[in-house]
Amino acid sequence: MTGIQCYGAYVPRTRLPLALIAGRPAKEDGPEKSVAWNDEDSVTMAVSAGLNCLRGLDRSQVDALFFASTTYPFREKQGAALIAKALDLRRDVRTADHSGSLRAGTIALRSAADAVTAGSARSVLVIASDCRMGAPGSSLEADFGDGAAAFLISDRDVIATLDDSFSVSDEIVDVWRGEGEAFVHTWENRFVVQEGYTPRSVEAVNGLLERTGSAISDFQRVALYGPDRRSHGGVVRALKLNREQLQDPLFGKLGNAGVAFAPIQLAAALETAQPGERLLVVNYGDGAEATAFTVTEHVEKLERRRGVGWHLKRRRPLSSYDKYLKSRTLEASEWQRAKDPGLPATIHFRERDEDVSLRGQKCRACQTVQFPNQRVCETCFAKDDFDSYRLSDRIGKVVTFTFDFFFPTPDPPTIVTISEVDGARIHLQLVDCTPEDTKIGLPIEFTFRRIHEGGGRPNYYWKGTPTPSQDAE
Amino acid sequence: MAREGIRDKVAIVGVGACKFGENWDQSPSDMIVDAAYGAYADAGIENPQEQIDAVFSGSLYSNKGPHELSDALKLFNKPITEVYNYCATGTDTLRCGVMSIAAGMYDTVLVLGYDKPKDRGVSGPSVMMDGVRDLPKTPASWFSLCAATYFDKFGASREDLARIAVKNHHNGTLAPLSFLKREITIEDALNARMVSWPFGLYDCCAQTDGAAAAIITRADLAKNYSEKPVLVKGVTVIAGPNPQKDPSNDFLSWKPTGWAAKDVYEQAGITNPREQIDVAQLHDCFTLTELLSYEDLGFCEKGEARHLVKDGVFELTGELPVNTDGGLKTFGHPTGATGVRMLYENVLQLQGRAEGRQVKNPQIALSHNIGGHPTACGIAILGLP
Repeated sequence: MTGIQCYGAYVPRTRLPLALIAGRPAKEDGPEKSVAWNDEDSVTMAVSAGLNCLRGLDRSQVDALFFASTTYPFREKQGAALIAKALDLRRDVRTADHSGSLRAGTIALRSAADAVTAGSARSVLVIASDCRMGAPGSSLEADFGDGAAAFLISDRDVIATLDDSFSVSDEIVDVWRGEGEAFVHTWENRFVVQEGYTPRSVEAVNGLLERTGSAISDFQRVALYGPDRRSHGGVVRALKLNREQLQDPLFGKLGNAGVAFAPIQLAAALETAQPGERLLVVNYGDGAEATAFTVTEHVEKLERRRGVGWHLKRRRPLSSYDKYLKSRTLEASEWQRAKDPGLPATIHFRERDEDVSLRGQKCRACQTVQFPNQRVCETCFAKDDFDSYRLSDRIGKVVTFTFDFFFPTPDPPTIVTISEVDGARIHLQLVDCTPEDTKIGLPIEFTFRRIHEGGGRPNYYWKGTPTPSQDAE
Repeated sequence: MAREGIRDKVAIVGVGACKFGENWDQSPSDMIVDAAYGAYADAGIENPQEQIDAVFSGSLYSNKGPHELSDALKLFNKPITEVYNYCATGTDTLRCGVMSIAAGMYDTVLVLGYDKPKDRGVSGPSVMMDGVRDLPKTPASWFSLCAATYFDKFGASREDLARIAVKNHHNGTLAPLSFLKREITIEDALNARMVSWPFGLYDCCAQTDGAAAAIITRADLAKNYSEKPVLVKGVTVIAGPNPQKDPSNDFLSWKPTGWAAKDVYEQAGITNPREQIDVAQLHDCFTLTELLSYEDLGFCEKGEARHLVKDGVFELTGELPVNTDGGLKTFGHPTGATGVRMLYENVLQLQGRAEGRQVKNPQIALSHNIGGHPTACGIAILGLP
């Protein structure tokens, strides 16, 4: 039976208290939203969610990767291929991007299930990730949050079977973003809710109930997309959902994560799911769809994941709205942005094993692991005698460090380290870490991030982050 | 290695330098002319077009190199070579000139280093961007990477670094061509804005424009130019592994300095550097660079340098004065010029012409540059006959 074998999520640690947007001081435990920091975007969040999903599994079993986002940085050039490389998946992995609609995540999920059911792939990794921007000071800015969720769809050891889904497609100009635009637009809110979101969501759910001969009360858990808290509440009332059924929509904690929003709620639902429970996922965007799952006994065997709850506990609240603006390069500056042509594409090409997959090499002659790849061994001088060696899934440690206050960043200093992993030395930035926490010998793991932008293109590379202690897992 | 060596074969018979600083009103050509004509005058050269056989010049930021120099000095119909070796460029320029004379290729050579970073419109060093993973790196963050391990192992602190800054600032007030001429206190250094921990503003050298030149000639011809020529006892430039990638690096020292010291001491016949060297110009791009270099050059044991700093060993009146003109700290670091500027200071010291900063009766002087990540070290040892 086709379904979800495994899941993972990612929510950036940085949070923007909503009070700061309104120019008020932030209160402890006040509403906030998750914010992709300046070295994060839909790609890096997708890689993190993907890693969390695949943790403990054999990556070579993944036959296909579907990536869903409305905020992938390129108009032409595939995101799934980049993410597959960062996840170090097989060479013959099938990749596809799903975009254009806020429903892209669940559409990808459905397509993956269809592929597995049809037998054209045994295992498909689906990752939804979004990092949308509302104009500074707008209500959309306060509503939106950033995050990602990943699911491995297969017919083996599934923790939830995908039972059925029902969708309606709709042509409506309610929420959109034009070519080359940074900010999402929306038509008048009552129109959007009354003619779009509410009726279509209800229609999709009723369609599914009819098709499956179920009642809404048959579902123990309902994950419902909502553009904002109030609109979401309207559909909850229309469907007569009771409080116990409703998956926490995380308004005031995460915010509306676009394509990833319903998938993140699904991941959160799976974290606490019990065998036999039925889940309903309702998503909206250019129409709506409802998908039904049944939780299996395998859910009890799945080792604990870095899911939504795990990430929500790890917070770094911003102290000022200005830092957020800086991280999104929305602040006014006297400096012209450098007219640089970016890195040569040939460098990206030559270095993709190191930079994107974080693969080093192990000398066959002296067994020294080294990074980056080179022709002659750093230690024994043997030439061209290496095996490729994946470093991204290893735990390293800080050998030495400094705090660079000079390097431009929205919130200096940049923590710069030399870290060691299996004997290889890597010049590595630390993120989600404070100078106070930085110590010689600190255990670190790797996280895929933006390192720089050049020529209007993001450059991606790995950074280090303190590896959580076993208790925190 | 087959080595006849270059010891005592080549003499420096004239030195010159422009004023170092934010030379807003000077072009590279202006500075080149100031430095070269200073050296001509010092060597009594009145007709350089006749008397100079070849030129070795060094610059990090210029992409015009030989053309810029020949055009500025109107040295046409001459062999001109541009040398590029990061911060070791100046010393390497001397090495190339010395080798050409020792090989019998030329009799008299102009060695010149210059750089003009203040034409770039940015304060401080550029952020490198050669490849995806090369970022972010600033020189301060490359060099500060030894601090955490060194502090941890030897109990050194920011105060130990501050003492070096205070010393060099003091020496700089006594050098007419220096850029920064202000005494500072340890408190000034400790309270300054942080650049890359543990380096505050005063732990970093300034970025300046500058040019320096030397006239070198066959030792047996030296008296034609100078009453008191200075002999080249040894000169080397040695490459080491990138310390950031080197799996065996302990971040307590920089390998190229140790290797270069061994090589150049052998050339110059130095067996006890602390005893035999009377004055030294060390690469103090950052205070920690000077501290570690005391040890890497064999002036003392690993971990001991901070005690000697505290005891005043490296001050003008100390046992082994270091950076008598204030070093990179007060001259700034126009990269190509720095190594040659150090030769300028060492020649003045050996000839007893260093005025208010003159050390007592020096016979042997050492200059040292380390650059890259750091990955290359150049050392030159000069001495009186």
